Amino acid sequence: MGQPIIELEDVVKNYRQGHVEVPALRGLSLEVAKGEFVAICGPSGSGKTTALNLIGALDAPTSGTVRVEGNDLAKLSRTRLSNLRRDRIGFVFQAYNLIPVLTAYENAESVLALKGVDAATRRRRVMDLLAEVGLEGLEHRRPDHLSGGQQQRVAIARAIAADPAVVLADEPTANVDSETAEKLLDIMQKLNAERGVTFVFSTHDPRVMDHARRLIRLVDGRVESDEQRS
Amino acid sequence: MKGPNLAKMAWRNMWRNRRRTLVTLSGIVFGVLLAVLFTGLGDSTYSNMINMAARLGGGHVSLQHPEALERGEAPKRSIAGVARKVRLALADPEVTRARVRITGHTMLAAGGQSRGAAFIAFDPAAEDASTLSILEALQQGRSFERSDERGIIIGHKLADHLGVRLGRKVVYTLTDRSGEIVTGLARVRGIIRTGADSVDSGICLLPIDAVRGVMGYGPDEATRVAVFIKDQRRSDRVAARLGARLRGAVAVTWFERQPELAGFISMKVTSTLFFELIIAILVAAGIFNTLFVSVMERLREFGIMMAIGFSPGRLFRLVMWESLWVGLVGIVMAAVATAWPYHYFHTRGIDMSAMVSKGGAEVAGIGIEPVMYVSIYPENAVFIAVAAVAATLVAGLYPAWRAGRVAPVESIKLV
Repeated sequence: MGQPIIELEDVVKNYRQGHVEVPALRGLSLEVAKGEFVAICGPSGSGKTTALNLIGALDAPTSGTVRVEGNDLAKLSRTRLSNLRRDRIGFVFQAYNLIPVLTAYENAESVLALKGVDAATRRRRVMDLLAEVGLEGLEHRRPDHLSGGQQQRVAIARAIAADPAVVLADEPTANVDSETAEKLLDIMQKLNAERGVTFVFSTHDPRVMDHARRLIRLVDGRVESDEQRS
Repeated sequence: MKGPNLAKMAWRNMWRNRRRTLVTLSGIVFGVLLAVLFTGLGDSTYSNMINMAARLGGGHVSLQHPEALERGEAPKRSIAGVARKVRLALADPEVTRARVRITGHTMLAAGGQSRGAAFIAFDPAAEDASTLSILEALQQGRSFERSDERGIIIGHKLADHLGVRLGRKVVYTLTDRSGEIVTGLARVRGIIRTGADSVDSGICLLPIDAVRGVMGYGPDEATRVAVFIKDQRRSDRVAARLGARLRGAVAVTWFERQPELAGFISMKVTSTLFFELIIAILVAAGIFNTLFVSVMERLREFGIMMAIGFSPGRLFRLVMWESLWVGLVGIVMAAVATAWPYHYFHTRGIDMSAMVSKGGAEVAGIGIEPVMYVSIYPENAVFIAVAAVAATLVAGLYPAWRAGRVAPVESIKLV
């Protein structure tokens, strides 16, 4: 394994439900290297989404250490965490989660604009990406005029537009049909192969697991198995 | 500035729930409409009252004896060199007219009846109703033809008390500069009816040179120069300028001479402001409600935006842009919606005669016109517009802050 860009060391995460503490992760440790195509799977409640939230700096662990590209997330301010998410992490959510008032083009462009990339570069890059995910001609449509699969493609374009170190995808195929799921996975695999983008999925979907080159299985907030695949 | 165009995003967000936005905008329109009409009514009414008071004898600024304000007007408190003072006043760019007058109190007697009254002695060649409002209330007879004419114009109630009518003789008794009692004889040339009881039963007009002769004043001597200016709100500035250049006299504003009227107007203006503040609070509460609900409905969206790199400050600015758009669009719609009612009440006025008693209404001796017109000062209109936008911005502060405080993971979980 190359230099890890994601490191989780003995991470514990408990949630409060009323007066009860519910453990989601119970000492999770794992590393992901640059360029990997990793699927984290496991039954509901095993801690997949929690792990992704912690890696994406969307949440903080109860104890343990989460590092992205060597940065200990616990030591970063809100603003620096926001900058880290903007510059180094791409997100693909189960429910697409595009900004509804922005067009497909503007959604994909938004992260580049946040980074301060100039307009000409943004245009060139976003148009290339939208073509790459098969959305040529649909740039000016808003999310409510796109199908679920098309929205997820915009989300993928948005996630990789800013050249992130890693793309975190939470159940990215959960809301699309099989054919669309295959196409999305092909797109992400191609981006991984050609651009070297690191992908980490949380998934139940056997199709995603089939495409993954590394499969981490979580049970009760711990790694049950970690399997490299050809 | 880097980042997505927040103004454009906010504009689109504003129209996501069109009906709710229109309800909010209608609140602004209604609030601004009320504020403009009430303020315009006040501006017009109070300005008319002040101008009316000025035309009742003293002008907007009165050049008078230094002790006249504090110790009262008296024949011995006259000012000399009034022609030069008139020239000095007219040299001021804000002064439109300056008229010489002698004012004081007299005792009128006729046919065994007598009555005390205030008098205004004026030059009929220089004055008309535009500087001496009582003249426009001339119900019978005419004004004087010469300044040394032996004539008198009296209020109709005063005439009734004295039992005189046009052409009858009246004896007026004054004191001269040395305190000696002197008398003059005049025939009734005109009878006035203003509707203000204090005027109709307590004021008479005399020709200035006739009074000078009776009181022993010189031809360039009077008790005041009544100065009229373009905008009554600048009375204090004009008075200060003229006062600095006067010798043997002081420049006194209308509100120093008539503190009851100034107090009444000040109280009314304050109550209008208070009323407008309540409107602003109600409008702001409506806007706050809309923005807050809109933010709470979009917590998940804000969480996603934070996840992809929007900072809390950027989300704060986004919601503030939304409130700014609501304010600006509200003002534009309010301007359109207010135009016709404003024009109507500006040209036709509101007829209050049914609410005014037969004797007419007056404040501090100043008659109030039964038809009230709406005419707002431009700066007050600007103030209302700015206040409405400011209210929307203030209303947006908490929702905007709340948007910036969204915890991404918590909001993303809200599926």
